[in-house]
Amino acid sequence: MSEAPVSDQATHMSPDRSAMARLSGSITPGVTAGILVAVLMFMPYLLGGSWTFTLGLCFANSIGVLAVSLLVRYGGEVSIGHTFFTALGAYSVGVLDTRYGISLWASVPLALCLGVTLGLLFAWPSRNLHGIYLAVTTLALALAVPEMINNFDALTGGYEGLYVATPFIPGASMGLQRYYVALAMLVIVCFAVARLRLSRQGMALLLAKTHPAAADAFGTRRVWARISIMGISGGIGALCGATLAFSGSTVSPGGFTFWQAIFLLVGSVVSFYGLSLPRVLIGGAFVTLVPQLLSSSGAWIPVFYGLALLGMILLGHYMPRIRKAMARKSETA
Amino acid sequence: MMDQQTHALRGEGIALSFGGIKVLKGLDVEFRAGEITGLIGPNGAGKTSLFNCLTGAYSPQEGTISYAGEPLNGLPPAARAAKGIVRSFQHVALCPDLTVRENVMMGIARNGTAGWFSAFLPLTKGIREREEMARAADAALADLGLPDVGDKFPGELPPGMQRLVEIARAVVGKPSVLMLDEPAAGLNNSETRDLTAVLRKLASTDLVMVVVEHDMDLVMSICDRIYVLNFGEFVAVGSPGEVRTNDDVVRIYLGSDDDE
Repeated sequence: MSEAPVSDQATHMSPDRSAMARLSGSITPGVTAGILVAVLMFMPYLLGGSWTFTLGLCFANSIGVLAVSLLVRYGGEVSIGHTFFTALGAYSVGVLDTRYGISLWASVPLALCLGVTLGLLFAWPSRNLHGIYLAVTTLALALAVPEMINNFDALTGGYEGLYVATPFIPGASMGLQRYYVALAMLVIVCFAVARLRLSRQGMALLLAKTHPAAADAFGTRRVWARISIMGISGGIGALCGATLAFSGSTVSPGGFTFWQAIFLLVGSVVSFYGLSLPRVLIGGAFVTLVPQLLSSSGAWIPVFYGLALLGMILLGHYMPRIRKAMARKSETA
Repeated sequence: MMDQQTHALRGEGIALSFGGIKVLKGLDVEFRAGEITGLIGPNGAGKTSLFNCLTGAYSPQEGTISYAGEPLNGLPPAARAAKGIVRSFQHVALCPDLTVRENVMMGIARNGTAGWFSAFLPLTKGIREREEMARAADAALADLGLPDVGDKFPGELPPGMQRLVEIARAVVGKPSVLMLDEPAAGLNNSETRDLTAVLRKLASTDLVMVVVEHDMDLVMSICDRIYVLNFGEFVAVGSPGEVRTNDDVVRIYLGSDDDE
């Protein structure tokens, strides 16, 4: 068992501890996440303002990576069009903020509801599509987004976009708010997804993914499973967009291109479709930080990006063996 | 005691074709409560197809299917499951992402009432419901002689135990009809003996149990009545003793076994 590569382990929804034990919240993954959150809480005081801003975007993108990974892990499907949902969430926040002065307290729940609703509406006609056919259908969503935004420029601001300036907590530093709101959203979404794994709905989704006939025989219709997971993933995608809008301060079509949808999928692959806080942070960091770190490389950016992607995949693949070899070495020493 | 005739799973004139090939040719069957009924036949005889028609996976082109007098035609498997008609699968269909306990819990998950808020938030109702399901699953596993495997994943268990886990998932909801598709497939002699004991233990006066099986020793030892299927038609119906001495059965099925 222990020799399985991370890519194989990634398909295993639970680690070695019992689900009931995890329910009690007293075990390693929870502690790991807690330590990570504690460290991240202090980062703004250790890093400069620009890094604080970048990390806020990283948390937002991590939520998008989580939305894509959730669809893979619970639905067995790949999306290359999740920018549709992120754009929906971002513009919900942006439009309500700039046009109507409504803060995140109201616009984020609305974005979530819109994401879930549009996810369900997309899932119904595509409920019988699988694999590459569904992926291509989601591609249509991604390609349509920038054009839709530009066509509704009276509302969306067109190419110029919108500036989100209303604070979440009046009086508090806006720079810190953009960081901590994104962190809080990420933690909340990760916690909710961890809860889903323990619920009867989550278990039914997993059974429907691996054995649809068995799920059917025990009362879970595969159409229900497909529609449900698209709704959940769409809702989380919209939360990603809402967080991006607040943390990034601007909402414009350039942030929701087809390539951005591909990057979310890349982030999901790099995190090995992980749903835990550390895993989605790896995916979000790859999506956010790697392009920034490579920004001075000019024409070599795609090459270096590809190499970074390859390096991450290989590292993840060989990590269990490396760990085992290191453990053996320390035992013999 | 429950009326065997009334609480029976019945099929009348079941006919099923795939692309012009007649797989089932107007079959009449009656699986009674309180009995273990065997369904045997060579490979390709139509056993699993009949099974799938009865559980709703296939829709027969002709014929009616009913349980306790209530028509089941047109009901999807999920709706039949809600009526207590459950099955196991020829190839073990446990979810590798769920623990053994959770797999068994799926047998009663459809009865849950905790909604989506409980799925995402630590609400008392959802937590309590999960604990109740876990207790029921542990009890079902213990009944089948698997008290200590709840926290393991299916891939960590030998094939025989995986079969038993599937049966535990099927019986945890106290079904009215239990249909087992080749439960002894892939089991060694010792595991088959254990399975035989388990199936005998499960048999009760209010349970319709149907077993599709190739293992003749198992079928002959546990079944009260046996249907023998060949090329989509029944060639014999009767007690194990009657079937064993039926010339047609010996020729088409048991005989071929001896030849091997």
